[in-house]
Amino acid sequence: MESMQSYGLDAFWEAVLLLGAVFCAYRAIVAKRILSATIYLACISALTSAIIYLLGAAQVAVMELSVGAGLVTVLLVYALSVVGDDAMDPASVIPKPLAFALVGLTAILLGSMAYPAIPAYFERGSMTLAISLWQSRVLDVWIQIVLIFSGVMGVLGLLSEKTPGRTQEIHQ
Amino acid sequence: MIVTPFNVILFGVVALLGVGFYGLLITRNLIKVVMVLQILIKGVVLALVLAGTVGGNPGLGQSTAATVIVADTIVAVVGLALAVQVRRRFGTLDVPKISTLRG
Amino acid sequence: MAGICVILVIALPWLGAVFVWLAGDERPEAQHRSAVLFSVLTGLVSLVLLFFASPEPALRLPLGRAFGELTFVPDGLGVSLTAIAAVVGSLAVIFSVDYMHGEAQLGRYYFLVLFFIGAMTGLVLSGNLLFTFFFWEITALSSYGLISFYNDDPKAVTAGIKALIMTQVGGVGLLAGTLIAFAHLGSLQISDLLARAATLPAGALAAIAFSFLVAAAAKSAQFPFHTWLPDAMEAPTPVSALIHAATMVNAGIYLLARFYPAFEPVPAWTSSVLLVGLISALISSVSALTANDLKRVLAYSTVSQLGYMVYAIGAGGILASQFHLLSHAVFKALLFLAAGSVIHSVGTRDLRRMGRLGPRMPFVRNVFIVGSLALVGVPILNGFWSKELILEIGLEHSPIWAYAVMLLCAGLTAFYTFRMVWLVFFGKERDYLQVHNAGSAMKVSLGILAAGTCLTWLFFGGLNGLLTSTLPFHELEHATLRQMAVAIVSAPATWLAMSIVAAGLIISWLRARGLALFGGGWLNPFVESSFGFEWVNRLMVRGTYRLAAQLSATQTGELNWNILGIIGALLVVLVVLWFGA
Repeated sequence: MESMQSYGLDAFWEAVLLLGAVFCAYRAIVAKRILSATIYLACISALTSAIIYLLGAAQVAVMELSVGAGLVTVLLVYALSVVGDDAMDPASVIPKPLAFALVGLTAILLGSMAYPAIPAYFERGSMTLAISLWQSRVLDVWIQIVLIFSGVMGVLGLLSEKTPGRTQEIHQ
Repeated sequence: MIVTPFNVILFGVVALLGVGFYGLLITRNLIKVVMVLQILIKGVVLALVLAGTVGGNPGLGQSTAATVIVADTIVAVVGLALAVQVRRRFGTLDVPKISTLRG
Repeated sequence: MAGICVILVIALPWLGAVFVWLAGDERPEAQHRSAVLFSVLTGLVSLVLLFFASPEPALRLPLGRAFGELTFVPDGLGVSLTAIAAVVGSLAVIFSVDYMHGEAQLGRYYFLVLFFIGAMTGLVLSGNLLFTFFFWEITALSSYGLISFYNDDPKAVTAGIKALIMTQVGGVGLLAGTLIAFAHLGSLQISDLLARAATLPAGALAAIAFSFLVAAAAKSAQFPFHTWLPDAMEAPTPVSALIHAATMVNAGIYLLARFYPAFEPVPAWTSSVLLVGLISALISSVSALTANDLKRVLAYSTVSQLGYMVYAIGAGGILASQFHLLSHAVFKALLFLAAGSVIHSVGTRDLRRMGRLGPRMPFVRNVFIVGSLALVGVPILNGFWSKELILEIGLEHSPIWAYAVMLLCAGLTAFYTFRMVWLVFFGKERDYLQVHNAGSAMKVSLGILAAGTCLTWLFFGGLNGLLTSTLPFHELEHATLRQMAVAIVSAPATWLAMSIVAAGLIISWLRARGLALFGGGWLNPFVESSFGFEWVNRLMVRGTYRLAAQLSATQTGELNWNILGIIGALLVVLVVLWFGA
């Protein structure tokens, strides 16, 4: 059982991690080169994964880390290699102050309305529940399998390209 | 206002979502859009795990979070494949230039 | 059992619609056959449903706290209209097999027709106001799709959009009334509105009553929304018979009849209803006197007969209006389908080019005459009994000048009907036209409808029983067929009406014989501008187009602006919650 003092310490560490995540997110958005944005995205994944672990969900934390900092980074780097990293940063379509004001207002409203719903202290969840509950969330597992298959099919279909050589053969 | 572990995470979630939406409003590059969606999803995963723990049903929150991670990965994969094709067909990844569906 | 029938009568046509569409346009025979199969099945199920009518909901689906329950109530009003819609629908589909033979895009046609039939039955059976609105909108959509079916003809497309916009104004009225009722009563059930109408504040009840009146007037092409129906005759004729004569335009009458007990106490409501029906009947009867398009004459007569029904409701005769609705659906469908036979074989709709077609199309001539006699109100046919019943009720419960105007309309009806029949089937041949006789599918539908025209008045007792036993809020009197027949035959008002009708027929016959009596040429400019009311239509249609053009500037198609819209909406929701909580 944690004592009251360690709550304060945990809050501190969580605050640090979250601040880091938000900072990395901002840097990712305003980065000029997409490659740097990719690195920042990996950092966000790592920090978020740490917070999730601190909340008590170890399996989800591992998933988040491997997928976010691993798979997505690799995908982005692959896409960048195909597309080419044009360092373009034209002015945004919507004026920045307007976007900032709108989002800020929404965030403040949302936060202040959700704040009373979170209790102050609560017992942390145990770590192995995710596994035991797959029995009641089996449908989710099937849906995920279908999703993965269709995603792979979709990507294969999207990325396939008719080789120029074949059409030349036909014309001859 | 007591700063406790759970309140801090709430602020973090809202901040991540806010930064994500700001990014969606600002960015003009298609690949950046896919990345900003990833940021938004991280906020959502955090919120789900938080809600599960706070609401007394941690297993449900965690399994839903796992499902969301899988789904968002598929979104990223398909989105990047689309971005690659868009680059091949349109020659640019600038979102306003490839928006041909107008009212 | 009633629940299963209700589900079938809505789901069968919709399944048929998908089936026909999937059969594909390369297999027209399969499309024809499956459309006929599904519509006939629906007709049979609806006839079975007649025996299971009850005021209790047959089907209840909970939809959460917001929408209450989705209920379907098979009471007398609902099942009688369902039977009409399904049976006339199946006959129109059977007729289409010959009429649309060889046409392109049959899949689209049958899909829209079957989709419409299912939506119409859902509309009249629904017990939840919001779902009545949903089905209402679906019928408007199908009607638009079918009016503009020949979408390479600009006249058809314009007519379709005009009809859509004007009936949508009615839809707005229906939605507004529904929402006001929901705000005050907290429930969307029709039975709740009928039961607790007296507890609503007077202003709210009046607002609901008049918005429903606007909705009904727009849907049933009554004054001042009467200009869309004559233009909607660009649709293929089976569609005109089904949608614009027998079913969709009856939705407005249904709405008024359904909510009559709730709105009757509202001051000036019944008088407004009376006036709307009166003016519509008068304007359209006069317009029909000089129309030269065969279907246009029938369209004007539809508006006029609907005016009779609305007048009856205004005078308090719910039973009379429903009886006339039944008769009118049958004989008007007959007239439209017979006109369709004529138009299909000679290739023109212009009355001035037809003439002496009778000897060359004997079967069609005979059924057309039967239908016309019913329209005019000649004894024994069903039109006579229902029209006289309406005039009786009008004499008792409405001002004497209103009764006089309706009598005049009866005379005008006789006049233009005779003119129409004479110009098409008798007289001298005015143009050289190729004629081929009606196909067998056409003859089947026409024959059944003609038999119906002679016989449906016998169901008066059944209809009366159905309505009185299943409508708890309406105060309807019990009457058997014999009582009604005796009352009508012995009333002096009937003989007065008969003499006016005879006068109309005789004057028309004399004119046809060459005697220039009551020349109507001076009416033409008035008729063309719909007595000055075309501006209502032009205002609505042009206003809608202008608004749409201006609003399309917001649809930039750019991601960032769309996200801005999303976040803006989220912000609005949060602000509303912040202040509401």
